[in-house]
Amino acid sequence: MRRDTMGVILTSEDRIPPITDIRANAALPIAGRYRIIDFVLSNMANAGLTNVGIVTESNYSSLMDHVKSGKPWDLDRKNDGLSVLPPSLEQTVLGTIKGNIDMLAGIRDYLMRSPQTYVILSLGNFIYNIDFSDVVQAHIDNQSDVTIVYKDVKGYEDAELSRFTLLDFDDDGKVKDIEVQPYYPKTTNASMELYVMDKALLESIIDECSARGDRDFVKDALVKKMLGIRIFGYKYEGYMDKIDSMRSYYKNNMAFLNGDVRKELFNPANPVYTKTKDQSPTKYGDSAVVEHSFVSDGCTIEGTVINCVLSRGVVIKKGAVVKNSIIMQDSVICEDVDLEHVVFDKEVYITKGRKLIGQESYPLAIAKGSKI
Amino acid sequence: MVSKDCVAMILAGGQGSRLGALTKNVAKPAVPFGGKYRIIDFPLSNCVHSGIDTVGVLTQYQPLELNTYLGTGKPWDLDRSHGGAYVLPPYQSAKAEEWYKGTANAIYQNLGFLEGFNPRNVLILSGDHIYKMNYREMLRAHISSGAAATIAVMPVPWEEASRFGIMNVDDDGVIVEFEEKPAQPKSNLASMGIYIFDYKALKKYLEDDERSPESDNDFGKNIIPTMLKNGEKMMSYKFEGYWKDVGTIQSLWEANMDLIDTPPRFDINDRRWPIYSRSLALAPHYVGYGAKITRSTVTEGCTICGEVDHSVLFGGVSIGEGSVIKDSVILPGASVGNNVTIEKAVIGGEAVIEDGAKIGVTETDDNPYASKYCTHGIVLIEGGAVVAANMDVPKGSMIERE
Repeated sequence: MRRDTMGVILTSEDRIPPITDIRANAALPIAGRYRIIDFVLSNMANAGLTNVGIVTESNYSSLMDHVKSGKPWDLDRKNDGLSVLPPSLEQTVLGTIKGNIDMLAGIRDYLMRSPQTYVILSLGNFIYNIDFSDVVQAHIDNQSDVTIVYKDVKGYEDAELSRFTLLDFDDDGKVKDIEVQPYYPKTTNASMELYVMDKALLESIIDECSARGDRDFVKDALVKKMLGIRIFGYKYEGYMDKIDSMRSYYKNNMAFLNGDVRKELFNPANPVYTKTKDQSPTKYGDSAVVEHSFVSDGCTIEGTVINCVLSRGVVIKKGAVVKNSIIMQDSVICEDVDLEHVVFDKEVYITKGRKLIGQESYPLAIAKGSKI
Repeated sequence: MVSKDCVAMILAGGQGSRLGALTKNVAKPAVPFGGKYRIIDFPLSNCVHSGIDTVGVLTQYQPLELNTYLGTGKPWDLDRSHGGAYVLPPYQSAKAEEWYKGTANAIYQNLGFLEGFNPRNVLILSGDHIYKMNYREMLRAHISSGAAATIAVMPVPWEEASRFGIMNVDDDGVIVEFEEKPAQPKSNLASMGIYIFDYKALKKYLEDDERSPESDNDFGKNIIPTMLKNGEKMMSYKFEGYWKDVGTIQSLWEANMDLIDTPPRFDINDRRWPIYSRSLALAPHYVGYGAKITRSTVTEGCTICGEVDHSVLFGGVSIGEGSVIKDSVILPGASVGNNVTIEKAVIGGEAVIEDGAKIGVTETDDNPYASKYCTHGIVLIEGGAVVAANMDVPKGSMIERE
């Protein structure tokens, strides 16, 4: 139980049109009934953190509606609890936020009045399942100033590696180099944008950076300070990825069809919580054919579903064939529709007999509420 | 003092002994139903949707699981500052210590609770029926008729009427006579065990009843007949819709089967009247290669690799490859191995059915596991029981946990 640690979740600026047109990246539906932010939020709650702040960018109504008082994560507390921190316009230049230092500067008061000693700074568009109490303990044991959680992603192609911030260590495990999304990667240690540090250090970094007009927590603060302070890595071994493009969104949803990934990410010892919707169980009709799919509650299935992830309340009517697709909440697929490699946002309605085919490398994405 | 127009009291103390091994460790209202619910979710959700925000749940038999399940009442939106859900067990007082002697006595012992809310009307419900009903409409009818009590009734087939408490009513719906399980029924309007009383009248009759030593302290046997005898105005309120008493293994099984036809006899996928329940926080269910699911409901946490037809699967159930499940109800967390056959069975929570077992297939007159609870060939496997690999469990068996 880490009552000495608070959590801060920054929402990422990576845009994935059209599905992030209406919501923050962290609020994207994933794995049927979850939102991306549920993973980091549940990990924090499971480690006993009782003070978690979510720092939002402009598009935050969907995120607020999802987390509300924090009840599913037991973060509706008398003291501390969950705080959603919308951007503060006064702290930004000309009303726009230009980097994560601006976002953090906007929550300086919240950080200062929080009584915890340590802070976990994270990004809301990663999925992983990690025991944060171990990470904070390692941070304390190493007498680190900053601990960065990373995964050695051996075997990734350069293009994949270039999506991440890459770390290099000296023999003691101390970070000796940090490169943000380099075109030519030198190491395979991908940062999970997860930092543990003394809260006082974070406060002084924010103060210094914003006083100098610096914008980026990693490039302007950590890289410049690297030699003067003790930055250590914490190696994470489980499944992890960043959702920063339609391709990675598609790939990471499909990953849940793999039993080993499910076992890791839905580890019963570190469960993932989400807002419950009180949907009835999913109903299979007499002509349903479903194989190799991940299906949420409240669906009605009378057609064929193969290799798909279905969110809550999806309707698949007779004769419809849906393959290799991600269908979000309350979408309706009418009779004899043929779908392959599509990503449907919520409440998409496909009328009888239509055919929509995307490609695995470029899934066909349809915006919320579209009727075709 | 703030006054509540109606406070509900749910009688949830019954053992439900006819459910056999299913209620060995839990009270009947806590028995799982319909894939992700428990029986008590139905009256609780009905209360909330009817705008009744103060609900006392009277418990007595095996209350632990039921109490834990209800918690603060949050899943039903019943965690309120003034009102909400309360678990009311029997208690010791300076004068006496008593179990609930009967349904009326249970309410009598909690008059102090009711007094605290200063209610104008009290709704009495039982915790063992499956139905969706707007109590608000019944309350409106009750208030506008000015009756001392209003009793919900529903028409039942004439040939079954002698199994119920039958209300004989006049053309205006006024109850003129009540007969408990009449041999020659004069009407087919059966009492549903749902009563709204004017609180002052209820209090008076409960206090009188308590003073009468020969009373069974029961609403059906004592309170209602006495009120009728005294000429109180008693109204019937006709309900037409799905209503089922799930007091036996067979009726519980049937009620589950009523959910899965298209269209279902009882629709729980009703966005205007959702049934709330405490969520288990499980991932969506996974359907594997080679699985086949038809005419069934499946919920979160399940992993299905076999064939499932005309069945209800609860959260966290796993079905192995080559297994065939038909006409069955599989309660939370049960694990079914490979090449298992299950027909017309109720498999208890966390039960383990090992590879190659055959349940409910064989018919035999000489069945060592035969049970009086398992009529119509239904098999019941107790929660947590283990059915060994390749074991043959004949129709009508009840397998208990060792």
